[in-house]
Amino acid sequence: MAGAFDFAPAIALLPFGSFLVALFLGQYMPKRGALAGIIATVGSLLLSAWVALTVAGGETYNEPVYTFVAMGENPIQFGLLLDQLSALMLVIVSLIAVLVHVFSLGYMNDEGETGLPRYYGELGLFTASMLAFVMSSNLLMAFMFFELVGLCSYLLIGFWFRRDGPPSAAKKAFLVTRFGDYFFLIGVVAVFATFGTAQFAGEESFPHLAELALSGEGQVTTMFGLGAEAWFTVVGLLILGGVMGKSAQFPFHTWLPDAMEGPTPVSALIHAATMVAAGVYLVARIYGFYALLPTALAVIALVGGFTALFAATMGVVKREIKQVLAYSTISQYGYIMLALGGGGYVAGVFHLTTHAVFKALLFLGAGSVIIAMHHNENMWDMGGLKDKMPVTYYAFLSGSLALAGIVPFSGFWSKDEVLYETLVHGIGTDGGLGVVLLLAYAMGLIAVFFTGFYTFRMVLLTFHGKPRSDTARNPHGVHWNVKGPLAVLGVLAATVGAINLVPVHALVGSVPEFLHDWLYYGPEMLNGHHYHELITAGEFGGMSAGELPGLGETGTLFASAGISLTVALAGSALAIALYRGDSPVEHTDRLGSAKTVLFNNYYQDEYQVWLAQGLTMNVARAADKFDQGVVDGVVNGVSSVSLFGGSRVRRIQTGIVSNYATLLTLGLVALLVGIGLMGGWF
Amino acid sequence: MLVELLLAACLVGAVVTFVAPDRVAGKLALGISLLPLVGALYMYATFDGSGNALFGGATMFGENVAWLDLAGYQLSYHTGLDGLSLPLVVLSTVLIPLAILSAWTPIQSRQSQFYGLVLLMEASLIGVFSALDFFVWFVFWEAVLIPMYFLIGVWGGPRRKYAAIKFFVYTNVASLVMFIGFMTLVFALGDSVSSFGLPAVTQAIAAGNLGNVAGVAGSTIALVSFVLMFFGFAVKVPIVPLHTWLPDAHVEAPTPVSVLLAGVLLKMGTYALLRFNFTMLPGVAQDLAVFIALLGAASVIYGALLALAQQDLKRIVAYSSVSSMGYVILGLVAYTQYGLGGATFQMVAHGLISGLMFMCVGVVYNTTHTRMVGDMSGLASRMPYTVGALIAGAFAYMGLPLMAGFAGEFFIFRGSFASTVLPNNGMALITGVAMFGIVIVAGYLLFAMQRTLFGEFFSATEYDVREAAVHDVAPLFVLVLLIIALGTAPGIFFEMIWNASQPILDNVQSGGEAAVESLATVLGGVR
Amino acid sequence: MVPIEYYMVLSAAVFCIGVFGILTRRNALMFLMSVELMLNAANINLVAFSFQNGNLTGQVFSLFTMALAAAEVAVGIGIILVLYRNFDDVDVTKATTMRW
Repeated sequence: MAGAFDFAPAIALLPFGSFLVALFLGQYMPKRGALAGIIATVGSLLLSAWVALTVAGGETYNEPVYTFVAMGENPIQFGLLLDQLSALMLVIVSLIAVLVHVFSLGYMNDEGETGLPRYYGELGLFTASMLAFVMSSNLLMAFMFFELVGLCSYLLIGFWFRRDGPPSAAKKAFLVTRFGDYFFLIGVVAVFATFGTAQFAGEESFPHLAELALSGEGQVTTMFGLGAEAWFTVVGLLILGGVMGKSAQFPFHTWLPDAMEGPTPVSALIHAATMVAAGVYLVARIYGFYALLPTALAVIALVGGFTALFAATMGVVKREIKQVLAYSTISQYGYIMLALGGGGYVAGVFHLTTHAVFKALLFLGAGSVIIAMHHNENMWDMGGLKDKMPVTYYAFLSGSLALAGIVPFSGFWSKDEVLYETLVHGIGTDGGLGVVLLLAYAMGLIAVFFTGFYTFRMVLLTFHGKPRSDTARNPHGVHWNVKGPLAVLGVLAATVGAINLVPVHALVGSVPEFLHDWLYYGPEMLNGHHYHELITAGEFGGMSAGELPGLGETGTLFASAGISLTVALAGSALAIALYRGDSPVEHTDRLGSAKTVLFNNYYQDEYQVWLAQGLTMNVARAADKFDQGVVDGVVNGVSSVSLFGGSRVRRIQTGIVSNYATLLTLGLVALLVGIGLMGGWF
Repeated sequence: MLVELLLAACLVGAVVTFVAPDRVAGKLALGISLLPLVGALYMYATFDGSGNALFGGATMFGENVAWLDLAGYQLSYHTGLDGLSLPLVVLSTVLIPLAILSAWTPIQSRQSQFYGLVLLMEASLIGVFSALDFFVWFVFWEAVLIPMYFLIGVWGGPRRKYAAIKFFVYTNVASLVMFIGFMTLVFALGDSVSSFGLPAVTQAIAAGNLGNVAGVAGSTIALVSFVLMFFGFAVKVPIVPLHTWLPDAHVEAPTPVSVLLAGVLLKMGTYALLRFNFTMLPGVAQDLAVFIALLGAASVIYGALLALAQQDLKRIVAYSSVSSMGYVILGLVAYTQYGLGGATFQMVAHGLISGLMFMCVGVVYNTTHTRMVGDMSGLASRMPYTVGALIAGAFAYMGLPLMAGFAGEFFIFRGSFASTVLPNNGMALITGVAMFGIVIVAGYLLFAMQRTLFGEFFSATEYDVREAAVHDVAPLFVLVLLIIALGTAPGIFFEMIWNASQPILDNVQSGGEAAVESLATVLGGVR
Repeated sequence: MVPIEYYMVLSAAVFCIGVFGILTRRNALMFLMSVELMLNAANINLVAFSFQNGNLTGQVFSLFTMALAAAEVAVGIGIILVLYRNFDDVDVTKATTMRW
């Protein structure tokens, strides 16, 4: 009997089909291809759910479906790896994709946009690439679909190509992520050179081979004279380059705020479930490899913690609603990285899940507000929308509470677990790794304050107070196709935290930790339990869980939760204190010179633009001058010399017969003398 | 025998087209050029050769007829296809009809002569890729130049004479140097060969028959002739710093000719490098690997930087060809299965991709009459199909997965990263540096696309910009489909390439080693 | 019998006179005469060596040379006539149109 796994390729092929249908036939269809996309993604969602149910029954799947290169000892194959992690992600991605498609009916069709077949086609391809990426069974396949995800985000960010902004933003997004992918591609090639395979799972998978090599049971070819661990760390960090590019981690985060130039539903898809999620998902996917490398883990944690804080501070001063959300995305993915680096595999996946839900919600909510505001995104022109659009308001509020990490909304549970895992591993681990983890934890904790602040600043400015512009007084109405997705996500954002109520479980043992159990009982070598063993093993990760002095394990758990909740509440309270009332005023001037720095995003764009244009372009121009002047100059010089020489030598041809006769005679004499000398006559 | 039929079809077709009236020449030439295409596809479908032609593998579709006896050397008319040459023959026969189709719009004078010359060139190209005797090969090799010279010099842009003469003289001098190099090699083999057949020469060298001539050691002769031949072929590829004829030729050549120049003619250089230098003299190649790899990496990075500085769309694509061919050199010198195979695969892939890019630029030029980046913007709203194909081509150039460029580049990277021809993983380091090309290529193509295709519509020239005719756009989409097909199923060609490159590596493992040893002593400190 | 050296000296002398004439004269007729002198110097050599070796081939060759010289004079005079018609002069240094 054909099971769910036999239909799994269709999860990605259905949206791909909708890409073709919408692109080529969309203009003849009602809703311009949206229906094809919705049908396809609903189909993907149902199949994903079926796969997830089958996985829940204890079966997993790791089989090749297509042979890319059949030759050689290790043929390159595209396969499907369906386990707990990918099944979860498939459900998330296809759910968000369905909702984004439905929302697009309101955001694009009802607003009378042109080029919709192209829009829905690209949306379908985007979804298909991401789903295929999620199911990838090896690193090369993952890289390929990773790139296709990048292509689709380029196309969608630049959807409104007639304006100047979107094409520029699209170009930047592709270039910056491409820079990260450069390292990733070296990493892929290095994995092939080192292990001969790039499989994620099974006995012949590269994480497993690396594990064997490090424990002295296997042999691999390391390069550049490095030891196994050092070389694996280099490879891991190279792959991490791609992750940081796609997941917009410092210093590759600059493309993401600009990417807000794309249509808002696309932003929701990019931020919640596809492009940006792809990066951290990859780390989770090959966590068995990273778990062996404490240095790589430390780098991941540090980058994550720093990005979380860094991006949150920038979100504090932004005026446009989507800009705030953009920086919050960067910051939240920083948390996920922090969790993964800090040994909290489950915490990272948990936050990835909850963030997908509440960030999609926030973006779609912002989209609803933007429709209402006639595409004005400035929060200082809004205000008072609470009463005009209650569905949007309550859904958005639910998402905001989750983002800020207020109990009992989903974000609280996951963020708390992220910080808790980092904290205990930081305390318990000796040496530099522990210090780094504690440092990353501290940055993550401070970022919680800023998160609460910018979230409630955004909510208050958008929905509360008195309307500050004419459009805010008479907002455009929104239809069911906008409210529906918001309602679904609003409920989920409030409740999805229930899948892993760690503190409650500690108190009442009968409350299960679904996600923890789900991920801990995955296939051999791909489950959280195995990762935990690797991380805590002295020969590999070398981490161990500690506890706050005098509190015990449970005490530490609650102390950590209490601290982060307090900080989040403090941040939120400050925002409410500053921006409540009918007509709030800007307080950014109080920041003094810091305000300028924050508004300019710490001048990150400036130096990157300088690197791209100031430096590289000038080098290129110099190279061009060199090429035209010196290299081509030499070529043309050879021809000039020949021509010049010819023009001189030809002057012998005077046309006077006597001169020719003279030359003849001289030649004869020279010949005679020469022969004489050779023959020894003299 | 099929190869000869193809040649005959092209040659007879060329004569017929020459005498046909201008009015029908384009359609006639298209019809005639479909014959070799059908023939090549039939050959592809029925190909079951094995091994490498130069190592006595089973070749197909060729002939071997004794021709002349010259000073103790038997010259034969010897042709045949193996897994390395068949993909390139297919590439040539695919690109020529498309190029002819794309010439219908821009070529408005002396059509019958134009299409006749194109068909003449097709015959020479098929000959170059199928000849297995040096003299036959050399005749075809040189014969390619003649139609090319006229195609650039007669139908080209304002500086066509300069470009045509530069192209002709540069490549012809290179051919001379290469000729001397090969002859040196043959004469150093002494009595062990009695023909100029490429298989005979290859196998004689592999058997270690390279003897002393006039007191000069065989290994030194191998080195000298390697360098001479490398120079000769490097001009054709072109490898930095011998590349400056290329942008001039491309800018002046009419679009269909650019398509053939970038799509097929450059591959003659890499194909010859593979056949001659890297197959016949693997020992020298490995001794000089560090220089060759650095030249390849330099071509990649330097070519990409030059492309970044250009404003003319055709120059951008021309320089990026230099960059892409650098990868091929890197793959060849790696001496791994993926490296050699990837390099050959990349030849085909780049042929299709650069052909597509030049065609797109050509369509844009036919419509706007300018190629300067600053002279136009927002073309996407006026000519969506052309722009769609252009975007597809640009991403193929950037190595987007599931398109042919990625497959070729990935194979090369995989092969050269793991290569052991240099000590201390030197190849991995050079490969890592060269791979930065994928970032720069994205940079210049994205910048150029943003400025020309997107934004408000604007054109500095006074022409009615609208979507081009069907026969202009159709070849673009044919190429896009081929690129995607080759990118999703690289086995189409990679399998036969793989099998045909295996003997080269076997030779390196066995016979090649001896040559390496002796040369290493001669070269002393080169490594 | 006259030693061969005497013939050689005579031949060399005649040849040198011819060369001298070609190098110094500008009149085309003098040029032609000088060329004839050089030809005859060669003839002297041919005949002398033929006599020395007792082989008639050289003398036969000198007969050929004479016939050739006659033909050459005919062509040469013709050229000189054309030269005069085109340049109004028989000065060889005036006719310099065939230069670079």
